[in-house]
Amino acid sequence: MFLTMKVAFRNISRQKKRSFLLAGAIAFGMLVITLMNALTGGVVGTIRDNFSHALGGHVFITGQEWTDAGQMIMKIRPDENLDRLLEENATQIEAFTRRSQAMPTMIFGSKQTMQMLYGVDFTEEDKLLDSLVVTQGRLADVLVEENAVILPQPVGERLGVQVGETILIRLETLTGQQNVGELKVVAFIEDQEELGLSAAFTSRSYLNTLLGMDQHEYQILNMFVTDLSLVDSFARIFREGLRTPDEGEEEAEPQVAVMVAGVPLDPLAEAEEITPWEGTRYRVMHINQIMEAVELVVGVLNRVGLVIFLILLVVTMVGITNTFRMMMIERTKEIGTMRAFGMHQKQVKNIFLWEATFLGLLGCVGGLVLAGVISLIVGNITFDADPSLQFFLNQGQVVFDVSLASVIGNTAIVVLISLLAAYWPARAAARMSPMKALSSHT
Amino acid sequence: MKNMMSVVVALVLCVLVTGLPAQAQDFSHIEAILERLDAQSRFDNTDFSSVLTMVVEDVEKGIEKMVVRQFRRDDGERFLLLIQEPVTEKGQGYLLEGDNLWFYDPSSRQFAHTSLKENFQDSDARNADFGSNSYSSSYEVEGYLEGTLGNFEVYIIDLKAVDDTVPFPFVKLWVTKDSDLVLKTEEYSLTYRLMRTGLFPKYTKVGDVVMPVQMVFIDELVPGNKTQISVSEISVSDIPDHVFTKAYIERVNR
Repeated sequence: MFLTMKVAFRNISRQKKRSFLLAGAIAFGMLVITLMNALTGGVVGTIRDNFSHALGGHVFITGQEWTDAGQMIMKIRPDENLDRLLEENATQIEAFTRRSQAMPTMIFGSKQTMQMLYGVDFTEEDKLLDSLVVTQGRLADVLVEENAVILPQPVGERLGVQVGETILIRLETLTGQQNVGELKVVAFIEDQEELGLSAAFTSRSYLNTLLGMDQHEYQILNMFVTDLSLVDSFARIFREGLRTPDEGEEEAEPQVAVMVAGVPLDPLAEAEEITPWEGTRYRVMHINQIMEAVELVVGVLNRVGLVIFLILLVVTMVGITNTFRMMMIERTKEIGTMRAFGMHQKQVKNIFLWEATFLGLLGCVGGLVLAGVISLIVGNITFDADPSLQFFLNQGQVVFDVSLASVIGNTAIVVLISLLAAYWPARAAARMSPMKALSSHT
Repeated sequence: MKNMMSVVVALVLCVLVTGLPAQAQDFSHIEAILERLDAQSRFDNTDFSSVLTMVVEDVEKGIEKMVVRQFRRDDGERFLLLIQEPVTEKGQGYLLEGDNLWFYDPSSRQFAHTSLKENFQDSDARNADFGSNSYSSSYEVEGYLEGTLGNFEVYIIDLKAVDDTVPFPFVKLWVTKDSDLVLKTEEYSLTYRLMRTGLFPKYTKVGDVVMPVQMVFIDELVPGNKTQISVSEISVSDIPDHVFTKAYIERVNR
C-alpha cells in the first residue's frame, strides 16, 4: 500500500500545474463552506453573548400577579422560596441582579425622549458601576443621592441636559396611573455595547416609588450561570421550584417574553383568555429560548452553504473525472509496463484513487489555510457599523468560530467526492490489458 | 383654684382642637354636584355624533390639525372615533366596547387593545376625554374652596381617586356655582405634580346633556405643548348598531 501511495504522490507532483488547478478548485469550495460555517458559528456565539449582556443574564425570572381591580401586573415580592432556590444553587450562579424597569418619557425644558430606565440596587450590583464607561460626571454619586440617574451620553445630548441638572420623567405606575418623578443627572456613560439598547440607571427604591411598588419588590431577576451548557437544566430547577400547586404541570417551556429596550421578543404571541389566580406566578426564561430563532436562521444559512459547497464540488468532480481520464490515456504505456512487471489491477486502481485522495486533501488543507488567513484579517477589522448591526459583532469585530466536527465532515465529503470522481477512470485503467497498453502509441 | 380652672379650660380646648380634624367634613353638596356633572355628561336616552377638530401644538413637532368623527352611545359604554385628517392617519379608529378599547390601523388591518388612560394619538387629550364623566364614582372629595374664575363664582374641588383605575390620582375641578359647569380641571400625578390643565370655555346644551364644545388641554410638564378641541356638527340622531362594530371600521376604510 505504501508503494501505491508513493507512486500516487509522485504522479501528483509530475503535473504540478494541473494538480494545482484541481486542488485549487477543491480549495475554493472548502474555503466557501468553512468561511460560511465559521461566520454563522461566530454570529451565534456573538449574538448569545450580546443578548446575555443586554438582557443582563442567562436566566430571567419575572413574576405576575392580579390586583383587586382585576389587572395583571408584573412584580416580584420578597419570597422565601425564591431566596432558598438562589441559596441552594449558589454554586451554579456567577452573578444575579434584581431590577425594576420602566420606559418613561424623560423631559428637560421643552425637549423629551423615551428611554429605558433600570432601577438598580447599586450596593447589590457592585460590578455594574465598574462596567460602565463614564464620559462625564461621577458614578459614585448614585450612592449618595437617591434620585440620581446615570444617562447614556446621546440621551443627555438629545435633552440638552448637563451633569448636576434635574430632569423630569413621566411614567405610569404598574396599574397605569400617571406619575412624575425628578432625576438628578450625576453621570453620562457611553451607550452600552453600541447595540442600540441604551439604558439609564437609577436606584431601584426610587423607581419603585414611582412605579407604585414597595422598596424590596422588583420586576425581574436576572442570573448569569457559571456553565452555559447547563442553562436549560438550571432554568428547569427554578421553574419547577417556583411553580405553585394550582398552576399544574407545564407541558412545554413557556414562550419567551423577555423585553429588550421595552420591546417584547415574542411579537407573534397571541392574546389568550387568562383566569386570574391568587399570589405570584413566576415565568422562568433562558437565553437558549431566545437563541432558538437565531439558531434556526443560522441552520438555514448553513444548509444553503452546504448546497453551494456541493454544487461547487459536483462541478469540480466533473473536472476531476475528465482529468483522470486524460491521465489514464497519457499513462497507458506506463500502466502497461507496471502491469507487465507484475502489478495487480487493484494496485493500479489504488494509485488513481490515492491520487484523488491526495488532491482532495491538498485542496482541503489549502481551503482551510485560506479561510484561516481571511478570517484572521477580517476578524481584526473593527467595523463602525449601524448600531443594529453591532448586535452581530463583538466590539465591532466579526467573530469566526468553526467547529472541528464541521471541518472533519466537510473534508470527508471532499475526499469522498474526489474518490467517486476518480473511481471510473481508475477502474478503466486497472482493467486495461498490459499487451494493448504496451502497444499503445500514447 | 384659678390654676385648676385654666388647666380644665386648656384640657377642654385641647380636646376640642384635637377632636376637630376627627370630625368628617360634610361634602354631601359637593358630592351632589359631582353626581350632577356625571349625569349631565351622559347621553343615556339618545345617541350622539359630532366632528372634533383638534389642533395639536407640539414645541418640537410643530402644529398639526386633526379631524375626528365621533359616535357615542353611553348606554352600553360605546364610542367610535374615526380619524379623517390628516391624510396619513385617515382611517385609524378607536372603538370602545364596554371595558375594551380597540385601536384600528388600516395599514396593518389589525386591531390592537389600548386603554382609556392613553393619550389620543400624539395629542394632549386622553381617550377617556371623549366619553362621559365618572367623577362621583371614581373619585372622593378631599376638600373644596369657594372662589372665582374670571367672572364666575366657582367651587374649587379637590378630588382623590378611590382606586387606581383612573389615570390621574388627584384632580382639581373649578365648577360654576350656579350652573354646574366645569370650567377648568387640573390633573395631578401620584407624586402630586401638576401634569395637565383642562380649560372648557364654551358649552352647549344637547337635550338633557350639557357638553363643552371647546376644550383646551395644556401639558404642564412640557411648556408649549397643548391641544385645542372644537366640537361641531353635533347630532343626537339614532346611530345604527353596526357603527359600533369592528366590521364597520374595517368597511369604511375600503
